[in-house]
Amino acid sequence: MSAGGPGGEAVTAETANQIDAKGIGIGLIGIYIAGISGIPYLAFLAGIGAIFATKMGADAVRRVCSYGIGTGVPSIGMLALGMGLISAMFGLAIGKMLGVVFIGPIVGLVLALVIGFVVGTLANKIIKLNIPVMERCLMEIAGAGVLVLTGLSVMIAGSMDFVVISKLVIETGYIAPVFILGALGILHPFNASLGPDETQDRTMVHALSCGAIAMVIGGVCSIAVIGPIAGIISTIIGLAIWYVTFMGFIKLVKRDAGAGYVGTGLLPPGAM
Amino acid sequence: MDPAMGMGLVALMGAAATVAGCSEDLESDIGSQSNPNSQVQLAAQVGYPHRIFNKAISGEPPSNAMYCAVGAGVAMVLMSESVMSASPLIAIAIGAFVAALLNGVFSTTSYLGRNASQTRFNQYVYLDVLRNQILSLMGHAYITTFCIVLISYVMWNQNLIGHPFPFPVIALIWGLCVGAIGSSTGDVHYGAEREFQDFKFGSGLNAADSGNITRFAEAGVRSSMDNAWFCSKFGGPVTGIAFGMVVFLDNWRSTAFSGWTAVVVGVVIVLVLVIYNRKVETYARKKYGPFPEYAGDIEA
Repeated sequence: MSAGGPGGEAVTAETANQIDAKGIGIGLIGIYIAGISGIPYLAFLAGIGAIFATKMGADAVRRVCSYGIGTGVPSIGMLALGMGLISAMFGLAIGKMLGVVFIGPIVGLVLALVIGFVVGTLANKIIKLNIPVMERCLMEIAGAGVLVLTGLSVMIAGSMDFVVISKLVIETGYIAPVFILGALGILHPFNASLGPDETQDRTMVHALSCGAIAMVIGGVCSIAVIGPIAGIISTIIGLAIWYVTFMGFIKLVKRDAGAGYVGTGLLPPGAM
Repeated sequence: MDPAMGMGLVALMGAAATVAGCSEDLESDIGSQSNPNSQVQLAAQVGYPHRIFNKAISGEPPSNAMYCAVGAGVAMVLMSESVMSASPLIAIAIGAFVAALLNGVFSTTSYLGRNASQTRFNQYVYLDVLRNQILSLMGHAYITTFCIVLISYVMWNQNLIGHPFPFPVIALIWGLCVGAIGSSTGDVHYGAEREFQDFKFGSGLNAADSGNITRFAEAGVRSSMDNAWFCSKFGGPVTGIAFGMVVFLDNWRSTAFSGWTAVVVGVVIVLVLVIYNRKVETYARKKYGPFPEYAGDIEA
């Protein structure tokens, strides 16, 4: 048993297929509208795509870590964004090289799924972790990593062009907060809810709120990159999503803690 | 650059790093992050519900990297000419403030989330624990981020040291570094020393003692402030000295020497520290040991 839970398959209300469909679908649609339209005021849509991709990654972390990967939760988030960064930049660069910019995110996503599958197979077959959902979850985590990074980079730069992104996001260093906030968005929701009474809806609403924080900071960065209005639109929409989801999280904490949600007090009876 | 100016900058960075290391360690001790966190997390499960802050924002290195990268990113936005060309000091202060706000949000969600996930072990969510500690957590995170972003700015600025990496990336790396040093140096003082100070040296740990760390302080039920009080006497300062030495010695050797001489000086410093550490360790073992001889299977 891990420090977290009983071990074994996680209890789910929203299935993995539904979350993946939303994550990949909304993620790609947001990135494409923001990247192809060329209208800077729509850049925030890529951020919304990144929020749903964060949720997809957090759910995959939740399922794979329910098998007892206690201290491995943070590591798996870093792994996600490591695979994601390589794939995202490779995809965008291939799109630029071939002269068809719009294939970039899809090439990146496919490459991430392949890397995730290889890493998952290595972990399961060679290192023999023997976790049934390992391959699928690592594919989802890598896919989420690539969508989060591409989404936030497109939101900051307002373009899907590799040259523009590398000049405005990577060389300026704004990739650093994007990278680490993306990784924390994927790992923190489950890590912060670790325990046997963890519930899926609470972890998922928390994932949305973490994704929104990444969107807010990305929006602040894009004020200096695209322009004040587009950046402020992204920041305010991100803040609104964060407020709603954070309040939703608090509500679910109250529900799950029940009578244990107290203002103050000594230790519970019988615990002294 | 003028050598006196160079050494002045190195001294400033060393001093800022010392403060950053100290506040980073105390911040993680108040929240029981990283090393002691597994004890706090397990305590309720072994029958010891507690009133300790459970701040699980990944390990210390990623969480500090986040504060510092965000602080530097926001500072860079404010300093850029297209926005408001803010003075670096104000920009860094605002960046560190934003990072402290993020620290507050992430700390809150991890305290509420983790305790709500342990309801079956009678672990309550105490809102006064949250309110009492959250501002001291954010305050310490502000100090850490301010100092680290300041170091990164000095390294990045083309008129000062002129490091080729972008500003937020340097801050990310120093954030990882201060988190790693806080986790490996200072947390040992909280995670091990605080808990086992009444145990015989080298006597090992009985699993049944695991949750004890969360129970009683010098007076009454232990709170996270007691841990900060305890750790500020040794664990925090020693982390500050460790991190300050890393920053100071590394920058000193590359400022005072150049080329291969700087590399050789670096190797010499590492060798001297390795030998010194070994001496201290063997001295402590001889002085406070010996470990009890292994005498078959001892009943737990």
